[in-house]
Amino acid sequence: MKEKGCSVTTSYRTSIPAGTLVTGRWRGGRYLVQRLLGQGANGIVYLVQQAGTRNLYALKMGYDALDLQSEINVLKALQGQHNAEDRDLSYLVEVDDFTLGDREIPFYVMRYVKGEPLSKFLTRRGGQWLDLAGLNLLKQLAALHKGGWVFGDLKPDNVLVSAYGDVELIDYGGVSQNGRSVKQFTEWYDRGFWNAGGRTADAAYDWFSFAVVCIHMLAESRLKTAANQLPQTRSTADLVQIMNQEPRLRPYSNWLKKAISGGFEHTDEAYEMWKRMISRKPVRHSVRRTPGWLKSAFAISLFLLVCAIYLTLR
Amino acid sequence: MKQILLITDGCSNVGQSPVMTASLARQEGITVNVIGIVDYGTIGELGSLEIREIAKAGGGMSQLSGTEKLAQTMQMMTRKTVVQTIQQAVNRELKHILGKTSVEDLPPDKRSEVVEVVDELTETTPLEIALLIDASASMKPKLAAVEEAIRDLMISLNAREGMSRLAVFHFPGRHGGEDAVLDQGWTSDLSGVRSLFQHMAMRGATPTGPAILKVIDFFRYGTINGNQTRPEDNDEREGMLGDYVV
Ligand SMILES: Nc1ncnc2c1ncn2[C@@H]1O[C@H](COP(=O)(O)OP(=O)(O)OP(=O)(O)O)[C@@H](O)[C@H]1O
Repeated sequence: MKEKGCSVTTSYRTSIPAGTLVTGRWRGGRYLVQRLLGQGANGIVYLVQQAGTRNLYALKMGYDALDLQSEINVLKALQGQHNAEDRDLSYLVEVDDFTLGDREIPFYVMRYVKGEPLSKFLTRRGGQWLDLAGLNLLKQLAALHKGGWVFGDLKPDNVLVSAYGDVELIDYGGVSQNGRSVKQFTEWYDRGFWNAGGRTADAAYDWFSFAVVCIHMLAESRLKTAANQLPQTRSTADLVQIMNQEPRLRPYSNWLKKAISGGFEHTDEAYEMWKRMISRKPVRHSVRRTPGWLKSAFAISLFLLVCAIYLTLR
Repeated sequence: MKQILLITDGCSNVGQSPVMTASLARQEGITVNVIGIVDYGTIGELGSLEIREIAKAGGGMSQLSGTEKLAQTMQMMTRKTVVQTIQQAVNRELKHILGKTSVEDLPPDKRSEVVEVVDELTETTPLEIALLIDASASMKPKLAAVEEAIRDLMISLNAREGMSRLAVFHFPGRHGGEDAVLDQGWTSDLSGVRSLFQHMAMRGATPTGPAILKVIDFFRYGTINGNQTRPEDNDEREGMLGDYVV
């Protein structure tokens, strides 16, 4: 569960103003703070410019040296196993401490991901973009799982989507090794919360969260109602019921049911099935969105056009 | 590793000072954490002061929480305490070997190695948690939420690689002199347990201090009625660390 509001580490939670120069204590790297990007359970993330260059990065200052380091260790391990074709090679840029007054603040510098959280993206571009964003997300997860990792705290806020549906996961603080316990999770997307299994990290844990993320994106109010029931009665049957009730979820329901029950062999299979599903899906919007009068108007003009051609050719 | 997690919504008013008994627990190698529940009304100036003091004396942490956040708070505390206990032991080793005082003083690459060890131990160290639930009259409406949070904690504990078990107590008992009641002995599986708190008689008294003593006894002897001895479990932590940190 999110480790928010702990009473022991309250020291440097207020953010640092734009224009501050962050200099690394050990390696001397220099970064100019441009603005706040976001604040989370483990730290504060800033947009920074590397001094003397035009390179923009995201810089995360941790509340706790150990927590941050354990996140960094995951990033390092991920970096180590990526092969050349992966673009992720340059995610982690630098690790250091920043002296602010009498405090040492641990930080790391990573690639700046331009994008917006999944929910915002889908609200702006339309729910049908879930097809593509979901596909790209599954690809990211497949790569992670292949390396023996499980993302853990998969939720809409941790998925950043760029303009054309490219997906980047952020916040590796919840990543666990396969077989270990999931360190960070958020109720709605947690298998344990739905009495659907334990909190041991496995690929199926991420599939489950992925499925609830989809349900959240297309049927938020129904999910909310189901989540607010008595804890003992919560179950995957509630999630299945939502899929059956919500028209927007129906095209996905076979895939989602399989994800919720952990029915895939591996994440590649989940990816392939998603891909087949979205290419086979009937095109819904044209049917629903073309109003009747427009259709008849169109039919009439088409008829007139044909008549006109017929008349000229005659 | 041994922890007591005290969940209360007010001040103790009977028997020894809970701050003193928490300090005793600490000397026994048991860390004491405290959650103050603040659902209906507040816990009061005195209550929150006592909570802080108990945790301080017990080497643990304290936090106020509403019932809706209880499960989350319990797990955060449990985990942080495990990490902290290991970190303290690691720091002692570091001081011993390097003369450095803490993990934070190490350069990032060394820190990375140490944290790997801390993470490993956090996951694998055997863990025993005794939950001590204040069952005075004002807690009654909150007990359902407390039970739910305990079940949720069990799910998280079961995901650990290391052995984890918990025991549940409430206090006070039915008659004066019964300072704490064992609801559930050491277990790693609550799924078969229908209802944790069955024979509750809500009374006004809050003997927090004596109840902590009972739990210390339980850690020692496996029973809350004292004297019945059992071979003492050795704390293997130090030895394990010796193997890891070189
Ligand atoms: N590489 C990045 N590029 C752009 N923005 C980022 C990047 N990393 C983080 N952010 C922004 O900073 C916010 C907080 O970061 P992050 O989620 O890593 O922190 P956290 O403390 O682990 O938070 P939580 O676990 O609560 O989600 C994110 O929601 C996001 O908006």
